[in-house]
Amino acid sequence: MKSAAFSKTYRGHTVLDLPQLELPAGEITSLIGPNGSGKSTLAKVLAGIEPADGRVPVLTGCSVGYLPQKSFAFRMSTRRNVLLNGGDHARAEELLRALGLETLARQRAWKLSGGETAKMALCRILMGRYGLLILDEPTAALDMESTLAAEELIRRRCRETGCAVLLITHSIQQARRLSARMLLLHRGELVEQGETERLLRAPEKEETRRFLQFCGL
Amino acid sequence: MGAAIQQAWELIRSGDPELLNILSTTARVSLTSSILALLLGLPLGILYGAGRFPGRSVLLVLNRTLMGLPPVVCGLLFYLLFSGVGPFGKLKLLFTVELMILAQVVLITPIVIGTMETWVAQTAPALRETAKGLGFGRGKRFLLLLNECVSPMISAYLLAFARAIAEVGAVAMVGGAIAWKTNVMTTAIMMYTNRGSFTLGIALGIILLGLSLLLNAALSLLQRRLNR
Repeated sequence: MKSAAFSKTYRGHTVLDLPQLELPAGEITSLIGPNGSGKSTLAKVLAGIEPADGRVPVLTGCSVGYLPQKSFAFRMSTRRNVLLNGGDHARAEELLRALGLETLARQRAWKLSGGETAKMALCRILMGRYGLLILDEPTAALDMESTLAAEELIRRRCRETGCAVLLITHSIQQARRLSARMLLLHRGELVEQGETERLLRAPEKEETRRFLQFCGL
Repeated sequence: MGAAIQQAWELIRSGDPELLNILSTTARVSLTSSILALLLGLPLGILYGAGRFPGRSVLLVLNRTLMGLPPVVCGLLFYLLFSGVGPFGKLKLLFTVELMILAQVVLITPIVIGTMETWVAQTAPALRETAKGLGFGRGKRFLLLLNECVSPMISAYLLAFARAIAEVGAVAMVGGAIAWKTNVMTTAIMMYTNRGSFTLGIALGIILLGLSLLLNAALSLLQRRLNR
């Protein structure tokens, strides 16, 4: 899957200026970078939440699912929230069980804790079938056990549906566990991209080396 | 005070015809105007809160100004518009319940709009982002937003009704507090107090407070059930 080259400007300040991005189908690509580098803006533009400069169509002929960084619970039960994105009850139950939400399925979703809401939102987005699935820090609020369970669900969904996944994360370990490819964003520009292990072991650019150094690598 | 409470009870128990007439006129004016204000204010509040269109900030400032509109000014405006020499004088609506309702709708609709707008403006961005991210179309996003509005809608209605039932300036000016026709609780309290019938005024005040308390308690219970 290929996006068009695009830029994004806010009040005369260019926050993103990117070349064509390639997100292979059936693969998870991690997007890393420091705070304010434009990761979430990139996700929003790809998902069509925000337009690129000149309203350039960034992705065409591809259904995109996007899980925002801040999870939102609709005013209904946890189960109904999940079922909003497809009526497959068996699949909804399976997802809820996998993330330990089965006992909270009937509870009002807006009463869930932050971590539980994040899990519910992940279950909900994983109910849909998309060509490209963008997940913005889906496990940032989760404990380690839940994180590993969520990663397994993401991996399985990618394998089963053959969709491309763009995973935004601050955890290099998570990127390493899940993704074959990695993109590094810095000040709105794509600094480096390539195979995860190669990029982590032998980064080519100075910005990548500095960023990885801060990440303890 | 004890005598007033006793008199209030006596008035209710005896089914005093004038009291019943005042009560029914009050209920008709307050309920109709608050429901109409809700029907008008709800879509406008959602539009102002969730929409992004040119002139929105001007409309918001205008609405906030109208939220503080003094009832007597509203009453005066309606009086001038609907009096015999006014542009709508031929409609012969002055000193009727219908015009009292209309004046109250103008007074309380901005309150409904303001309450809904504040709430929707806080919720809509996250809702829109999530729903668009799930691939939902405009129709489904709107229905989900409406679903989120149930609880704040009750709050907005409570505020609107409270303002309507307690309002005196506008209804007195456009209704004229005519006994058996346009006299509502607040104007009746004023009328009896002016005549020196303080006990009756206090008795009516107690009934008014009691009714307001009952409705507020019922709607608050409903709101608590929805939020639980």
